[in-house]
Amino acid sequence: MSDPILKLAGISKSFPGVRALSDITFDVRTAEVHALLGENGAGKSTLIKIMSGVYQPDEGVMTLDGGTVAFNSPQEAQDRGIATIYQELLLFPELTVAENIFMGHAPKNRFGAIDWSTMREEARKLLASLDIHDLDVTSMVGTLSVGNRQRVEIAKALSHNARILIMDEPTAALTEHDVERLFGIVRLLRSRGVGVVYISHRLEEVFLLADRVTVLRDGEFVATKPVSETDHDGLIEMMVGRRLDALFPKTEAPLGDVVLELENVSRQPLTKNVSLKLRAGEILGIAGLVGAGRSELAEVIFGMTPAESGTIRIDGKNVKIGSPSAAKKLGIAYVPEDRGRQGLVRPMRLAENVSLASLGRISQGGFLNRQSEATLARKSIDQFRVRASGIDQIVSKLSGGNQQKIGLSKWLATEPRILIMDEPTRGIDVGAKAEIHRMMSELAQEGMAIIMISSELPEVLGMSDRILVMRGGRVVAEVDRADATQESLAASMMSDAAASMAVAAE
Amino acid sequence: MAAPEATTAPAPTPRRRWVPRIALSQELVLFLAIVALFVVVGAINPRFVAERNLQSIFLGNAYIAVAAIGMSMVIISGNIDISVGSLIGVLATVSGTLAVAGVPIILSWIIPVLLSIAFTTTMGAMVAYLRIPSIVVSLGFLSILKGGLIVATGGAWINALPDGFQLAQMKPLGIPMPIYFMVILTIAAALWMRLSATGRSIYAVGGNAEAARLSGISRERTVVKVFAIHGFFVGIAALLYATQLAIIQSTVPPNLELTIITASVVGGVSILGGTGTVVGSTLAAVLLAAIGSSLIFINVSPYWLRAVQGVLILVTVLADMWRRMRQARGRGR
Amino acid sequence: MSDTTAPRMRLTVTHELVLLIALFVSLAVLSVTAERFMSVGNLLNQGRLMTEVALVALPMTFIIITAGIDLSVGSMFGLSAIMLGVFWHNLGVPLPAAMALALVVGTAAGFFNGLLITRLRVPPLIMTLATLALYRGLAEGISQARSVRGYPEWFFVLGQGEVLGVPTQLWILVVAIIIFWIVLSRTTFGRSLYAIGHNETAARYSAIKVDRIKLIIYSLSGFMSGLAGVIFVSRVSTTRSDMGTGLELDVIAAVVLGGTSIFGGVGTIAGTVLGFTLIQLLKNGLALTGVKGDATIVVIGTVLILSILITNFLQHRRGGDG
Repeated sequence: MSDPILKLAGISKSFPGVRALSDITFDVRTAEVHALLGENGAGKSTLIKIMSGVYQPDEGVMTLDGGTVAFNSPQEAQDRGIATIYQELLLFPELTVAENIFMGHAPKNRFGAIDWSTMREEARKLLASLDIHDLDVTSMVGTLSVGNRQRVEIAKALSHNARILIMDEPTAALTEHDVERLFGIVRLLRSRGVGVVYISHRLEEVFLLADRVTVLRDGEFVATKPVSETDHDGLIEMMVGRRLDALFPKTEAPLGDVVLELENVSRQPLTKNVSLKLRAGEILGIAGLVGAGRSELAEVIFGMTPAESGTIRIDGKNVKIGSPSAAKKLGIAYVPEDRGRQGLVRPMRLAENVSLASLGRISQGGFLNRQSEATLARKSIDQFRVRASGIDQIVSKLSGGNQQKIGLSKWLATEPRILIMDEPTRGIDVGAKAEIHRMMSELAQEGMAIIMISSELPEVLGMSDRILVMRGGRVVAEVDRADATQESLAASMMSDAAASMAVAAE
Repeated sequence: MAAPEATTAPAPTPRRRWVPRIALSQELVLFLAIVALFVVVGAINPRFVAERNLQSIFLGNAYIAVAAIGMSMVIISGNIDISVGSLIGVLATVSGTLAVAGVPIILSWIIPVLLSIAFTTTMGAMVAYLRIPSIVVSLGFLSILKGGLIVATGGAWINALPDGFQLAQMKPLGIPMPIYFMVILTIAAALWMRLSATGRSIYAVGGNAEAARLSGISRERTVVKVFAIHGFFVGIAALLYATQLAIIQSTVPPNLELTIITASVVGGVSILGGTGTVVGSTLAAVLLAAIGSSLIFINVSPYWLRAVQGVLILVTVLADMWRRMRQARGRGR
Repeated sequence: MSDTTAPRMRLTVTHELVLLIALFVSLAVLSVTAERFMSVGNLLNQGRLMTEVALVALPMTFIIITAGIDLSVGSMFGLSAIMLGVFWHNLGVPLPAAMALALVVGTAAGFFNGLLITRLRVPPLIMTLATLALYRGLAEGISQARSVRGYPEWFFVLGQGEVLGVPTQLWILVVAIIIFWIVLSRTTFGRSLYAIGHNETAARYSAIKVDRIKLIIYSLSGFMSGLAGVIFVSRVSTTRSDMGTGLELDVIAAVVLGGTSIFGGVGTIAGTVLGFTLIQLLKNGLALTGVKGDATIVVIGTVLILSILITNFLQHRRGGDG
């Protein structure tokens, strides 16, 4: 096998409060597909952002063709032949295919104007070289399907003469047919000597496509192996590893009556015929890959995107949940996944955030009672051991873990009976994680019915009484805590992908 | 996951795509509307299509079309300029004052255009580098310009303009000068927007600023450039406005900025930025002028004109929102 | 910066303090340069002249705090004024009922804005730009630009009369200021406005009824514009279709000058009150010192831009929270 083009050694990167990567080794050779694997939060995105010049590493050395490099911008990485295709495609919907491919470096004529016909011709040649003959270079990108847009992105990357192409979960939104075509293109590129870094959640893709695989876990390097020397179970074990169960102190709570019941609930596009039961004092874990429809289900229960069909019952009574405020009245609380965008109003004060969902409780006749607001905020700080300078601190100044505690205490202030937590411990440090788990356990003890959505299998296994696995908007498996293992859960999260991969491979 | 349910519709075949695209083209709709208007109103009252009226429609409004070109670019880039009416008033007065003061006529035409570019470039720099929203910057300048004009002139009109100053009244080859300007500038601007790198980057910045940044396009520089070019068109518009009559009124034409923005919006420039063409805005300016003129000929009080304009903007905007919603849904989001 | 103080609170306080100082400086300068300025009569009269802009600036503060804008206030003002004349003069409705109907028209116009903004997600700038033209057009079309005069004497009490030696509309303004101030600073409604302005998505996820609140504030803007329109008719004794043209600019200038951020989330009624007061005093003072009436808007424009630059500068120095 050839020498590495790009080599990373001892790469570390920290963000405020989080160590995202520590001492990572990684390399890319010519004419190979190198898969990068890891759970959510394992550090894959950070690593590719370092390779593509979005972030600069705190420590470590990056060499390209044997010489040390440091990219200060995506532009510099691009100029040196490293192109990245992000999950969210960065295209201009109102411009044509050719213009998108050559955005920023269009061929010019001698008057300095865009040489329109050369550009179209070059775009056509590029697409043809990728064996794409059915894409009109003059059509608007906005009218194209996701698969075609991705092909445009690939052509765009190649227009920069990329020798290394980084693809971040390229199959996440593709149809089977498009996946198949994408694989064809990736193989074609490899045969031409391009080094492809391929990130995916789907193990099957790794076996179909990759030559080598590197696994990251919790920001650390686990191993790099030729794909031929590994197998499915081996990879899963490398990804999930073994972790301390002590972090997840779910104590057995007596289960009460069924509080929430869903029967054949559907909502386009990602909630399909979901049925579930949730008891008081129970923690119901929902596992699944990103895009499996877990948050979408939570938003249906919370009334953000009301159910289109099916029945929802609370305490055995049929209810209609048409808005978050209706959900709140029924005693449902939802702590969303994205703290900054959905969970908190970060430029506002701590006290204001804590009271935001329960303004009715700290007011009389619509008039705020600052005294009760302050009391509420102080109570939350004590109860959750929030590290803040006071109730008037601006929330954006708090650490991630403390922000998450505020997001949770905001909803506990509404005194809910059903609590939905979406990725409750993502991106926060170990100490805060343990405290949130302890809180959840205590709440369950007190009779709260909890739904916990999590991508971290150890967390799901440690905290849940019962686990639902979702895939493609459906509940595909229900497992009791006692029967579940990381391997069995991971297998049912991914098995559908395995099936469609097999189709694509034929 | 590659589950088939979670995917968007497959790419439409080229044959199916092109019919709706033509049907939805704002330019075509506007063009047909203009033709229909002339046919219908002309049938009701032939004097509407008489040469004299056609000339007055085009002559009196060409400057609006020219200003709308620059405005369209500003809006496509995701900004707005509500000071444009006042700026035209000020520049017209400057031009006339220079001419009366004995400055060579050619300079009295060129200087206001240069001033205009300098002025809007300043505005663009404030928007781009100081990150003040364009609506606030232009609101402030609107007051300054409007008030400054009255302070400077005391509301007096400029007359006794020297011979040869009235550019807009000239008729080379029997066709009035404003028409040349309107047509040539529209075509030039359309080509420039379509073919030049800067022109394309305006769409990029207005459409997806983050993607533009990752493609190496500077939002700041693009915005400043857009405002500078906008200034050129405003300058020309002011010139046409200043030289169309024997006198120059030193008051700002009321609601001029609104008429210009209306032309841009009705011409298909989306206020959310990123889309639109200058051909559309020119057609819209003509359509608006023709509608205004037609009210008289079909015995509808011209006082309804503004209401018609309002309905037109509303319809255009709602159509745009509807199109966007459909597009968003088409992406399966 | 010390961790105990909220930067946002400090910032608005600073801005208001700057305005307050500016206000006192201009009062001092004007009372020296223009001798008639400091008389009670003049100041009360300025209050009278300021009322229309002030009444509309109050709901505009709410709207801009939610990161919205309402450009159609001048047209709603004009439309309500015209409808007052039409109901009373053309349709023979008794004047008190006509006044009430004019307010209904204004409210309905604002409600329509709010409806399309919340239901169809039309950006407020565009929606109200469209209705700026539409409502003005309706006012012109319905009235055919004919003015209505000859209102009965009692009607003028509202705009020209006095109660306890103070112009009637100033009483209305004071009551309105107090109500808006309490609502913004003391109620759950006001708190929700700030939350929406800072982060609308998070507000929705906090079970705040964002759409309903927006509908209310745009309707309120229509109502207050209508009220200001009726008062204006009473003050000038006549109804014309071009009434209130350009009002939106004065109003937005006053609100933005008062420290309300066009990006949303920041602003107070006290700031707005200082904003419109400062503008009116500058106008009057300059007029008294011999500067021509319209020239004062140059000063307003300059003050507006300067105040934004200063606020920007202050924010940058604080390391910018947003």
